[in-house]
Amino acid sequence: MQDPRLRLLCAFMLSLAAFASITGAVAVVVWWMVFTPRWRSIRHRHALIATLVLFGIVAGVMTLTGSGDGLSYLVRMIAILLVGSWVYAESAADDFLAVGTWCLGTRIGFEVGMIAGMAMQMAAGLSDDFRRIRIAIQQKGQSWGTRSIVPAGRVLIHDAIRRADETAEVLAMRGYRNGGTMCPHFHTPVRDVVAGTCAAVALALAYFPVSEFFILYR
Amino acid sequence: MKVVFDHLAVRYPFWSLTANGVFSPGIHLVSGDVGSGKSTLALMMAGLRAPDDGAVIREGVNRIMLSFQFPEFHVTGLSIAEECASWNLEPDAVIRSAGIDTDEETPVLSLSRGELKRLHLSCILSLDYDLLLLDEPFSSLDCLGKEQVCRQISKRSGGITVLFTHEQSIFPQIDHIWELIGGGLVDCGDMPGAVLNWQHAPPLVKKLICVGRIPRSLTNNDIMEAACRTRG
Repeated sequence: MQDPRLRLLCAFMLSLAAFASITGAVAVVVWWMVFTPRWRSIRHRHALIATLVLFGIVAGVMTLTGSGDGLSYLVRMIAILLVGSWVYAESAADDFLAVGTWCLGTRIGFEVGMIAGMAMQMAAGLSDDFRRIRIAIQQKGQSWGTRSIVPAGRVLIHDAIRRADETAEVLAMRGYRNGGTMCPHFHTPVRDVVAGTCAAVALALAYFPVSEFFILYR
Repeated sequence: MKVVFDHLAVRYPFWSLTANGVFSPGIHLVSGDVGSGKSTLALMMAGLRAPDDGAVIREGVNRIMLSFQFPEFHVTGLSIAEECASWNLEPDAVIRSAGIDTDEETPVLSLSRGELKRLHLSCILSLDYDLLLLDEPFSSLDCLGKEQVCRQISKRSGGITVLFTHEQSIFPQIDHIWELIGGGLVDCGDMPGAVLNWQHAPPLVKKLICVGRIPRSLTNNDIMEAACRTRG
């Protein structure tokens, strides 16, 4: 999808649809299969599989303890994860700046877009950092396992906050206060419009039972 | 104990690296320009990157440590105490050895790059490794810091120590020199004769060679001795 405005709108609608009901989640998975490059749109497959396993465990616990519908939870989370992976793979950092400025103007919009873009860049670097920490732990003679994830995560978060602080200082030193000038241009092919319309249909399906559309025939 | 580069090759679209050679116990210097492939070679030597061709053969090498150029890459604890504990070391001794004026509860990543480098090098130089690979160990250090690290490296007994650096002024007691030129690893030989084949030799060493005064090693004392040597 080439138009970042439609991409973000689709992601928003599809996430709502997947979260709302299992019908919506199934519709989202179908949408993902039709309008995305499917597996090629997933950058970090190992991370995706690890997250799926985690969701599977939570779903299993929910089912076994009777605290909820584990299968429904699993299907909806898979749908949300697929949409998130697709948006992450297709988006560039300056997409958010362009969409933010187009949507909310050169002050708040620029600021929100810039923050989102920076977050995107930081997320891209996190997997490299995670790999380095893994090597560091192994070099220290410690085994890498589930116990290592919490300390590694602490270092990652701490480092991310420190870098954010440094970036803020650099921006302030360069005289940045708020807002900025930008004239975003977007290219909207027909396929993007079709995909957006279908995402809206998926959202409608999630909130209104299919039978509502055929109320006259009941 | 030895590490053998057996027709090692790495290929990128616009760059390649080949290496052949045997690293025996002692302190080796691999010099080369920025971007010549020193870090790639270090990664392959440590087994953290596979070569595209050839092999790295390690005989009698069990404990390996690669010190990355950026000390942040080694941090796995939040405080200095946690970081030292991750190396199984006492924080007080490490802080003293690193010469850092702080306490053990200080967050590691709040240290300056130079302090963090000193802390990291103090940790790894306190431990015994069969193969110790130091990628740009002098980066972020001032002259005093570099000299202290050199003293610690020179004290290492046994094992293979390899310095990958473009440093031109301060060195430990080097036994063997290698250099990366035109995408290939060149064996300059054992010291002191190695300096005669060393294209990346520091200007002072080159001048000394020109006047026939070959330093016994690359330490400051030996270079000074060569500079002040009178012809007998």
